[in-house]
Amino acid sequence: MIKTVKLAKVYRTEEVETTALNEVDVDIKEGEFVSVMGPSGCGKSTLLNVLGMIDSPSSGDYFFNGEEVGRLSERKRSNVRKHNLGFVFQSFNLIDELTVYENIELPMLYTKVASAERKKRVEELLEGMNIMHRRNHFPQQLSGGQQQRVAVARAIVNRPKLILADEPTGNLDSANGDEVMKILSQLNSEGTTILMVTHSQYCAEFGNRIIRMLDGQVVTENLVKQYL
Amino acid sequence: MFKNHLKLSFRSLVKNKLFTAIKLTGLTVGITACLLIGLYLHHELAYDAFHEKADRIVRVVMAYRTDGETQEVGVTGNKVVPSFRRDFPEVESGVRINLFTQVVKYGDKLFEEEAFYFADSTFFEIFSFPLLAGNPKTALHAPKQVVLTESMAKKYFGASDPMGKTLSVGASGDYVVTGVMADPPSNSQLKPGFIGSLVGLRDMTPERATWWNANYGAYLLLRAPGARETMQAKIPAYMKQFAGELNLSGDAALSYKLEPLRDVHLRSAVANKFEPNGDIRYLYILGAVGLFILLISGITYVNLSTAVGADRAREVGVQKVLGAGRMQLFWQHIGEAGILTGIALAFSYALTAPLLPLFGRLLDRPLEFATLFQPAAVLALLAFGAVTGLLAGAWPALVISQFQPVKVLKGQFKSSASGIWLRKSLIVLQFSISVLLIISTIVLQQQLHFIQHKKLGFDKEQVLTLATDQTIVDKLESIKSVLLQNNNIRSASLVYETPVHIEGGYGIDKSASGGNWSAVQALPADEDFIRTMNIKMVAGKELGRADVELVRRRQKGLDTLSAFPILINETQARLFNWTPEEAVGKLVNFQGPSEIKGVMQDFHFSSLHEPIGNLVVFPDTWGQTLLVKISGNDLPGTLQFIENKWTALAPHRPFSYHFLDEEYDKMYRTEIQTARLVSTFSGLAIFLACLGLFGLATYSIVQRTKEIGIRKVLGASVAGIVGLLSKDFVRLVAVALVLAAPVAWLLLNQWLADFSYRIELQWWVFAAAGLIAVGIAFLTVSVQSVRAALNNPVESLRSE
Repeated sequence: MIKTVKLAKVYRTEEVETTALNEVDVDIKEGEFVSVMGPSGCGKSTLLNVLGMIDSPSSGDYFFNGEEVGRLSERKRSNVRKHNLGFVFQSFNLIDELTVYENIELPMLYTKVASAERKKRVEELLEGMNIMHRRNHFPQQLSGGQQQRVAVARAIVNRPKLILADEPTGNLDSANGDEVMKILSQLNSEGTTILMVTHSQYCAEFGNRIIRMLDGQVVTENLVKQYL
Repeated sequence: MFKNHLKLSFRSLVKNKLFTAIKLTGLTVGITACLLIGLYLHHELAYDAFHEKADRIVRVVMAYRTDGETQEVGVTGNKVVPSFRRDFPEVESGVRINLFTQVVKYGDKLFEEEAFYFADSTFFEIFSFPLLAGNPKTALHAPKQVVLTESMAKKYFGASDPMGKTLSVGASGDYVVTGVMADPPSNSQLKPGFIGSLVGLRDMTPERATWWNANYGAYLLLRAPGARETMQAKIPAYMKQFAGELNLSGDAALSYKLEPLRDVHLRSAVANKFEPNGDIRYLYILGAVGLFILLISGITYVNLSTAVGADRAREVGVQKVLGAGRMQLFWQHIGEAGILTGIALAFSYALTAPLLPLFGRLLDRPLEFATLFQPAAVLALLAFGAVTGLLAGAWPALVISQFQPVKVLKGQFKSSASGIWLRKSLIVLQFSISVLLIISTIVLQQQLHFIQHKKLGFDKEQVLTLATDQTIVDKLESIKSVLLQNNNIRSASLVYETPVHIEGGYGIDKSASGGNWSAVQALPADEDFIRTMNIKMVAGKELGRADVELVRRRQKGLDTLSAFPILINETQARLFNWTPEEAVGKLVNFQGPSEIKGVMQDFHFSSLHEPIGNLVVFPDTWGQTLLVKISGNDLPGTLQFIENKWTALAPHRPFSYHFLDEEYDKMYRTEIQTARLVSTFSGLAIFLACLGLFGLATYSIVQRTKEIGIRKVLGASVAGIVGLLSKDFVRLVAVALVLAAPVAWLLLNQWLADFSYRIELQWWVFAAAGLIAVGIAFLTVSVQSVRAALNNPVESLRSE
């Protein structure tokens, strides 16, 4: 599903040049659950952003489902993104001015899903995530765990093939963190590919492969114990 | 999707209550100012447009040249219209109109009417004043007929039908009502209360037909709009055939100019007999002021939206990650501007309704709110709202829709350097406009103060003017002596017109034999004029009782030999190359052989736009105005005394008076109105600019909360922090001053150049305007910066 060849990302300011990704090669198959680990500043979030097509690589190739997408225009990337990818962020990134229901519905407005279908899908997810009673609340009125469940619901409502999660449990206590990880595992077992950045070894082991990065490079790629 | 965007916009407007309120207030005030100004401009630009044949009507302006100088007046002799109708195929019809103040009486109702017109029977054929009763073809057909307006009909006849009833009109006799016309619109150069038939008046007899004695407003209806140019080209040659009859010598010439009716009010330099003209330049000024105000409120919108936009970066970032396109986001934010503009437009409508009468009073115009509900106006306003929304919303929408999700979601987002630079430039622009308006306000007020307090060479304070007629003139001596019994009445004098604006045009010749005429303004007056007006004589003597008696004897044919005693002013003496002393006793020709009895010190007898010209004051008894100089002590008692005596001595004439200084102020109506408007709007401009500044200061201080906390921990004082936070903004206002001052200097010098007597621009005005702007800006920013500086640093650091 994902293949990168010598993928690089360099940030330039007037005086400093920082290499965030240095000729990274990764290969992720459909149905995998891959965790990316590494110290702060190692480039894992940059990798997630580039693979999530919200940032573009400085050089190298990025193939998504066999198609080179690294050099697509913003408009085309946006199109690929909205139909294929779902995002979960550490800080949830829900829109404060929209209710739970509206936040979950939002991605479907951009993919022009019919109104009745939208309603059906949102309600299914609200039910599934056990937040039906909170449907008309605004994000600030929810607990962290509830907010992240809404964010996950929003990420999967368009039934994406790939979910990109950037430290999805970083802002949660362990009980809520576990809850979110179980949902992601469940999604993966139903066929969704997941790429997750995390600092936590415990969370990383929910996946089946761990990529470790340092200074913009992939240093190791290991299967998680149970898959060895 | 649209619904979702609308919801998002609306909720985010509600969430940012302060900034939304500031933006909404700015837009509402800006749009309201534009609506008010727009209504006024519409009123003025539509002047005389209601006449169905407006494009074919021209006003005839008389242009006469003597001594190499051409003078143009908006009146003509009674011969012009009939001759032009007869001799020019281009002319379909024509009308002569005269205007008098008349005492009108019906039953026990007696009023002095200032808008009593006399016109040819073609009046209603040319002008579109609809008749509510009567036949427009015959209403002014025969002698002694009168058409009156609806409101005059109510005033004299109440609910009863005025048709066929008889009004007594001053010395002119009885007039039968033959028509009732709708009240003329306020934007009509002709605003008659009554129109009497001209036919049958003494001046209409063939032997009195003349090209001279210019007393009539003359209007022609041409067969085609384009006929004006062809006819105009023929007039000089046409007039040459009358050279003998006109008795012109040397380079003297008489000709006529045809002015399109709709140009008279705003674009003519030639005064209108029926009301003072407006000036298109003041409309431009006002239009510019309106746009300035709107620009300032638009800038406030843009500045706050782009600044606060930074707070919405995350929302935009998330939307983009979820697949929102740039254009979708762009239109969402334009829509937000649209919502605010729509609300502002609605508020503006609501605000305009109560403000319009006040604004109309400021401008001396009855502006109509109903105009705003005409379909064309509603459409125009919607378009105006859409354009305003688009202009104010486009830049923020563009900036916001360009946010890069990867940056904003990482929290790396900060206003870009170019964005900050743009906001600063816009603040400078706002304050430049405000400073320009403040300087203009001060200078306009200074010039007005100068005009109103300039020593005119006569005393215009505490002088009453009362309209008179022949009956009163006949009893003048007894009226004067009765009035002077009151100690608070100093003197009284009969004159033809008031000395603030002497218009009477005559000819004067240095040699008694005649042959080298030059134009001069002259005022017929009695022996008390110089004393009543406190005019200084620089040589010779003032007019005496004997001089007036001499004139009386001459008029009765009892004395044909004596030279006519006249007074001239210093300018006239100078034009004759005489010192005042030399001038006294000289014989000149002024309506016959005349002797200069005295030389008056120059005084201003026309607008200060003009330099003092040459002037003659000569004794005569056909005055129309009684000037009464009072002491000013016990004004109500004195006025009551005059009224009592007047009612007893002149029961046929209602007691109605003006103060001379009010009449003087009337000459500067346009300037006074402009000054009032510019002051009002410069107040508004600075308010709006401050509103924007307040919003931006609030935002910037919120952003610097952590910095303030750290500085305080490190020992910064409250004053130090206030200074730090205010410095940047105050500096911008200073830059605005530097930019605005030269522009203001150029514009105001140009405006002042229009006055022959004017103030000079002084440096302190610019300094004062700068201080005002900087002071207000400092106060505005301080409100927020003091609060920030007083905050407990622990709070601000924890909040980070």
